[in-house]
Amino acid sequence: MSGVDVPEREGTPRPSPAARVRHYLPFATGGLQSLLRYRSTFVTTGVTAAAGAAVTVFLWRAVYAGSPPGGGPGGFTPEGITTYLLMAQVLQVLHANRVDDEVAAEVYRGDVAVMLVRPVSYPVVRFFACLPVVAANAVLVGVPVLALFALIVPLTVPRPVDVALFLVSTALSVLLAFLVNLLTGMTGFVTTNTWGVRMVKQSVVAFFAGQLVPLALMPGPLAAVASALPFRGMVDGPLTLLLGRYDGVAGAADVLARQIGWAAGLTLLGAVLWRASLSRLEVLGG
Amino acid sequence: MTRTVWRHVRLAFFLGGVGLHRLSAYRVDFVLGAGAFLVRVGLQTAVVGLVFRQVPAVGGWTYHEVLFLLGFSLLPRGLDHLFTDQLWELGRKLVQRGEFYRYLVRPVNPLFSLLSERFFHPDGLGELAVGAVLVGWSGNELGLRPTPLQWAVVPLLVLCGALIHTSVKLLFASLSFWTVTSLPSMYAASQVSEFAAYPLDIYHPSLRFLLTWVLPFAFTSYVPCVYLLTGATGLVVWLPLVTAGAFVLALTVWRRGVNAYEMTGS
Amino acid sequence: MIVAENLVKEFRLTERKPGLVGSLSTLFTREHRIVRAVDGVSFTIPAGSKTAYIGANGAGKSTTIKMLTGIMTPTGGRCLVRGIEPYRHRQANARSIGVVFGQRSQLWWDLSVPDSFRILRRIYDVPDPVYRRNLALYRDLLDIDALGTTPVRQLSLGQRMRAEIAASLLHDPAVVFWDEPTIGLDMVLKDAVRHLVNHVHRELGTTVVLTSHDIADIAAICDSALVVDRGRVVHQGSIRDLLRTAERRSVVFDHRGGPDPGHACARIEQELPGVSASPAEDGRIKVDYPVDRFTSRQVLAFLLERFDLADCYAPEPDLEDVLRRIYAGGSRSPLAAGVAGPGQGGAA
Repeated sequence: MSGVDVPEREGTPRPSPAARVRHYLPFATGGLQSLLRYRSTFVTTGVTAAAGAAVTVFLWRAVYAGSPPGGGPGGFTPEGITTYLLMAQVLQVLHANRVDDEVAAEVYRGDVAVMLVRPVSYPVVRFFACLPVVAANAVLVGVPVLALFALIVPLTVPRPVDVALFLVSTALSVLLAFLVNLLTGMTGFVTTNTWGVRMVKQSVVAFFAGQLVPLALMPGPLAAVASALPFRGMVDGPLTLLLGRYDGVAGAADVLARQIGWAAGLTLLGAVLWRASLSRLEVLGG
Repeated sequence: MTRTVWRHVRLAFFLGGVGLHRLSAYRVDFVLGAGAFLVRVGLQTAVVGLVFRQVPAVGGWTYHEVLFLLGFSLLPRGLDHLFTDQLWELGRKLVQRGEFYRYLVRPVNPLFSLLSERFFHPDGLGELAVGAVLVGWSGNELGLRPTPLQWAVVPLLVLCGALIHTSVKLLFASLSFWTVTSLPSMYAASQVSEFAAYPLDIYHPSLRFLLTWVLPFAFTSYVPCVYLLTGATGLVVWLPLVTAGAFVLALTVWRRGVNAYEMTGS
Repeated sequence: MIVAENLVKEFRLTERKPGLVGSLSTLFTREHRIVRAVDGVSFTIPAGSKTAYIGANGAGKSTTIKMLTGIMTPTGGRCLVRGIEPYRHRQANARSIGVVFGQRSQLWWDLSVPDSFRILRRIYDVPDPVYRRNLALYRDLLDIDALGTTPVRQLSLGQRMRAEIAASLLHDPAVVFWDEPTIGLDMVLKDAVRHLVNHVHRELGTTVVLTSHDIADIAAICDSALVVDRGRVVHQGSIRDLLRTAERRSVVFDHRGGPDPGHACARIEQELPGVSASPAEDGRIKVDYPVDRFTSRQVLAFLLERFDLADCYAPEPDLEDVLRRIYAGGSRSPLAAGVAGPGQGGAA
């Protein structure tokens, strides 16, 4: 069925960008509505995030317990490493957009074929549907978790300029997380055990993004591998900016440029693979 | 009574066979699941390795001791995983989609009927294998010489730990009878169980209390490991009591949930 | 024997407000509404009968069946299946009942049908001869072998339903509860299922309780009917008695000589006010008359007098019409006053 629809869709005249965004807004509010239906979700996402943060925070605080006042390994102070690991967990909450889960499920059930008959692009729909989830998670989970830890462990206070850079970088990291999750969900076209794939993704991303161990504390070769992967821009990148661990304007620009580069690259990869998957869908008969 | 038990044991073996048979039918899934698990534990071990690059001891625990603890925590978790993975389905969708009824119209215990649908979950085998290797290797590096008594209680320690994991999972999965889906809370509880992979000594006192007496994951790894590594019996004597308490509480919630079950839909 | 005594089931529903603002407000407040799905229903279904449990959507029939199968606990009253309260003794009850919920599978999702049957055989301790006999029966009647080794989740609805029906009978249950069992089946398979259940009933005396939206299922399988409306029983008795409550009867005849069918119809309608006549196939004429104005005797006498009848028969009243009338206005039904016994109804 998609074989008939895709060319037709491309043949219609393109509406203005504003009109096109308007097409996708219902998906954004719809995504939020289905999320809000289960208010317990936020409580439990918060518990999960707090628990995840506590494991890494306390583990590394034990390491830095006896470090000299000028800064321990990797140039982190105890407050610095605590802030890093805590904010890493908050970023992870922002990245938990459930896109991998839902795309995989819709591919598996064949619901993707139904989406194809609508005059909108499925990946873009998914993007808009995940934005309110991200916003709700930030406000209802991220802020309370941060507040909770601020009460029990000392944190560093970042400079305003670093906070601004961090916010820009965080927006890019949300886009990167969406793309990574979209690609993960699309493995549903080739395997039924997307659960395993998602678990690998989760572990690999958490490790190489620097969520569990800052890149600065990794041995040379491992740090080099982590720097070369797109995941770095999801956690270590934004936090480098937040904690002011960069070299002047050039250093900050480098972090942002890498994020933008990877976002563009993954968008391209996603688009190519999406097209390839659709032709596969036709072969399978939807 | 004994006849019923005996019947369920025979059924368990038969259904276990079906589970193993299914593994061979879904070989790719099995390989993917086991592979995913290896990646996860591998990276977890790498984190421990990276931590100990910086310091010789954390919270009074050495590198090999922490690895021993990490490995041991996988044993009860794996044993639980092997038999009770279907509980995730209960929390996720069985109540939500009105599918739970099928366990109530069969002439076997509903909990047994539920669990038996996925006996021998392959991830459990992976966890048991990796855990055993880690415990064996790090125990050897530590020059550990367990007493005969310690050897004898190891299976019991693992079994009690597994029952604690099962109880927590069952309790949170049963909440779905009232809340339709309880996946998030199950997920949160399983996230809390991750604490068990590291020494309790590094955590905030409130967290230590939580892990010992509220969600007693400390009893699945930290408490037995302290006993095996140092011989100190401190908390380990409480293990049977904690296990029994957790299990009875979970079963009670489950029973009430089953009675409150309202099959949705027309 | 199945007994319900003053059975009540209430549900607590969460009110959700529409739209985004509504969703946001449900985050903080929740309003509940109590809905009474089954409202003090009492009935007795004799052992060995084939009873259609009939009611419009939302009449509480599925809820009642769920209490009879032990899936749900009643809010009030009680029910007994073969002397057992099902929701109190689920396992004991499960041994002697078979269940099909057309909308929901009870098979093993990622196993094949033969594998599912092997498990069921162990779970129910089905003796070898019974198992072999039943499999042979399903092979003959439902062509169950054609399902092969495909996992259940990949079967079509029709294929799955065949397996569900067979699974519900595998252990020779004393009572079967079938909720929409012929969903997704084509005509040939529907016939096969009806044939199967009638066969099993004849051989084993199985009690059958059936709900279906397909009137043909009810007509082909059941001998008695239990009609519920808005949670209350409005009719219990044989299907025949139910049909007797029809407000209209009809008779079809064929006649020799004049007048031609068109004129004949006009003449009947003119001389018997309130009666409608219409030409049927092969030159026959169908006469519909309201039972509260004419007896069958009057209509037949009229026809015999005016026409040279070559052939004449009276089809059964349309069950669907009868039910539609009950659904449409339970209170206006002559049966609403209570449970109808035999003999009650229109002119015979």
